Amino acid sequence: MQAITGACLMLTPANYVLALIGVPLVGGALAYVLPWRGARTVVVCLTALATALLGVLAVVAGPFSVTCGAWSDPAAFALELLLIGVIVAFAWEARAWLIVLLTLLQLGLCLTEQFSAGAHAPTAPTFVLDALSSILVIIVCVIGALILVYATGYMREHAAHAPRTTAGDRRFFLVLVGFLGVMNGLVLANNLRWLAVFWESTTLCSFLLIGHEGTAEARANALRALLINAFGGVALSLAALLAAHRGGITSLDGIMSAQALAPMALLCIAAMTKSAQFPFQSWLLGAMVAPTPVSALLHSATMVKAGSYLILRLAPAFAGTRLLDVVALAGGFTFAVAAALAVSQSNAKRVLAYSTISNLGLIVACAGIATPLAYAAAIMILCYHAASKGLLFLCVGAIEQKIGSRDIEDMGSLLYIMPLTTIITLTGMLTMLMPPFGMLMSKLLAIEAAIEAPFVLLLVIVGSALTVFFWAKWIGRMQTVSYHPHYPRETMPFSMSSVLVMLCALVAGGGVASILVYRTLIEPLALHTFAHASAHTIAALRAAGNLLSWPVFVFPLLAALVWLWTIARFNPAHVRLPYLAGENYEEKELSYAFLSIKDQPAVAWTTSLYFKHTLSEARITPWANLIAGLLVLSLLGVLGLL
Amino acid sequence: MIGRLLLVVLVVLVAPLLGALLNGADRILTARMQGRIGPPVLQPFYDLLKLFRKEPLVLNRIQIGYVYLHLAFMLMTIVLITLGQDMLLALFTHAFSTLSLVIGGMSVRSPYSRIGSQRKIMQMLAYEPVLILLVVGIYLRTGSFMAGAVAHLDAPLITSLPLVFLAFLIALEIKLEKSPFDVATSHHAHQELVKGITLEYAGPYLGVIELTHFYETFFLLALVAAFFVTHVWLGVLVALAVYGAAILVDNVCARMRTTWMVRYMWTVPMALAVCNIIWLYLQPHAGR
Repeated sequence: MQAITGACLMLTPANYVLALIGVPLVGGALAYVLPWRGARTVVVCLTALATALLGVLAVVAGPFSVTCGAWSDPAAFALELLLIGVIVAFAWEARAWLIVLLTLLQLGLCLTEQFSAGAHAPTAPTFVLDALSSILVIIVCVIGALILVYATGYMREHAAHAPRTTAGDRRFFLVLVGFLGVMNGLVLANNLRWLAVFWESTTLCSFLLIGHEGTAEARANALRALLINAFGGVALSLAALLAAHRGGITSLDGIMSAQALAPMALLCIAAMTKSAQFPFQSWLLGAMVAPTPVSALLHSATMVKAGSYLILRLAPAFAGTRLLDVVALAGGFTFAVAAALAVSQSNAKRVLAYSTISNLGLIVACAGIATPLAYAAAIMILCYHAASKGLLFLCVGAIEQKIGSRDIEDMGSLLYIMPLTTIITLTGMLTMLMPPFGMLMSKLLAIEAAIEAPFVLLLVIVGSALTVFFWAKWIGRMQTVSYHPHYPRETMPFSMSSVLVMLCALVAGGGVASILVYRTLIEPLALHTFAHASAHTIAALRAAGNLLSWPVFVFPLLAALVWLWTIARFNPAHVRLPYLAGENYEEKELSYAFLSIKDQPAVAWTTSLYFKHTLSEARITPWANLIAGLLVLSLLGVLGLL
Repeated sequence: MIGRLLLVVLVVLVAPLLGALLNGADRILTARMQGRIGPPVLQPFYDLLKLFRKEPLVLNRIQIGYVYLHLAFMLMTIVLITLGQDMLLALFTHAFSTLSLVIGGMSVRSPYSRIGSQRKIMQMLAYEPVLILLVVGIYLRTGSFMAGAVAHLDAPLITSLPLVFLAFLIALEIKLEKSPFDVATSHHAHQELVKGITLEYAGPYLGVIELTHFYETFFLLALVAAFFVTHVWLGVLVALAVYGAAILVDNVCARMRTTWMVRYMWTVPMALAVCNIIWLYLQPHAGR
């Protein structure tokens, strides 16, 4: 073990980049080649372990940058052509002509860029691992690795009752494991061409995994994801073309130092498609047909973060521009509307999907406000959301396998049926809205930051209130339980339960330490990024971290201890039946029915509030898409400044 | 340091006493408005003592924890404000205190308790934006999220936040569980016999909820007084007058539907508060 660690420490930056991208790809390929399930599981778990270790070591060894030689540009170009070819082939096979058209348009843009701008030697580094990409690498490698391990157990169960059209497990793991490498490449890439290569690769991964089950619904949703992301791909290629024509910019650094507004606007639009911001949200909702590890890995914890990451990376250079005001407004709008729509959903995965869209909107809004405090808030949400939401998806997957439903109203009494998973799920949900956990603290920071942008502030306030509403409903339903003297031990594959426990510990531990994390990690990072910010904004950043952290939290801690003490000396004779405005129906066991007409037992039952009519998707989505579409259109206004 | 610690201990000890007295006065005042004599002013204390001597009956073990969290987060809010700490954090801990009660009420298989919890959470949805706007308003006036900064103002908050104050008073009517927004938890005769959110709590657990309510009454009226902070006694008088007015409104109004409550709160008080916030943004050095 020490030898391996020693060897890793001696790796050069270039080798780190190669390993971060290459190890998962090789692991995925190996999983594809091996015909035995057991061997595949071992390979996937080992790859996950290696990737997590590499990620941590690379971040410890960083920051660094890698400049590739003259071979890198043609290589990236060739890969891009290959990817475009593959996407066109898939779209052609599915007779999705619009996707074919968009992808061919992208091909045209790439060719134009390659042959019109002439050969220019790239001077900027090809790959950069700085503080921001370090955070993303850690999220991808650590949380991603945990989800991979979970997937080995989940897919074994899943294969038993999957539809016959399902593509094999081998392809599934090839794409899922390889995705980690692609995602690492995406967050490390500074060169626009490599960025595009990895960007298209994540689109392809997402397409293949959403369509995994091969049903008509899965295929339609996969194509929808491909279509919307192809649109984003066109925006990305156009941004690269415009940047190349403007003084031969080939890197994100270049766009930032030149303050090139037109490429920035297009990159923002590309980012909004990837992060499923309104009006591009529909593909993420459709993506929930995929098996749960896919939803957890790609569609909540990592891939969708790529968009907000891109905006976060570029925005500091554009602080104070009108362009970013519009971006912030679009993000705030998505935050509020997605939270409102989450209220009306009773499908657990859809609630999680809307909540993901909503939080990504908040990240985009904070990135758009572009003050040190807003930047810090955005990074906090990015980290804590990835961990909590990854955990929640995994929990919902486990629950669905057990009870065969993902409807929240079916989750009553779950505490008795699967105690461990339910407690972990409840912990995960409480970390979304309970002080002092990270998500609530970052929402606090976001509100404090949004004071700079009054319209965004109003949207954030409305969205926050709605967020609390839908989480509380779900928590309340999930822990509704009758009295049981003893709880059974839950049976679950070890690969799943161990991951749930580990991720839960990570979420809870990291969440409690949120104020510490802010002060020691996030605040210096924001200060470093905004080296030339005004004294007033820096004062706001420092003031926000000036919270009295642990002494006041002694009260909830005491409450928890007293609770444990009460449970320890609990007397079962004190258990009573609920009041039901009628005589309780007496049986041997505790009954929750009452005597109704003709002395027949009847069960009293109330559902949660959903406002399915007031907040129905069919009513709200078209208007929200219209407003958000206008905001996106107004982003294009800067193209006039060419 | 020692001084602040003593202050915290003092507030934590005195707040429930004052809160209980206020509730006792409420019982008498309401009774007189309804042509009754009402209980003695110390009745809330007697009730509390009696509750703590009763059997701790429950439906399950989960619901117990949320009662403790309800109290703990309320205490935390009061300590945060007493120490002049971040107001947004205090707002969130206060919200979570209420939320604990909601979740506790939902954790038992009882339809009435769930209906009560749902009304409570609709209340939160209704007033929470107004409270956040209140904090934002104070920030724009003082330039700090620290509650301590209010004490250093040269003119009371009411001079710059009159409309926010009005909006807050309406939110206060909800928080004090008064009509037209109330939940079915009050002691008064004009309400139904089946309680909502606290229905399935009994004995000491109900006692803890009552105790938290005492703290909350004190806390909310202290917030009202804080609007007049350079003139403390004026603040106290206004707070008492506001409490009396809240009781009057309680007795002349019928309970309205939850959807009406949310619609109303998100339009009238919200518009008032937003208007006031806009005034503050228009001032040249707002929050700087």
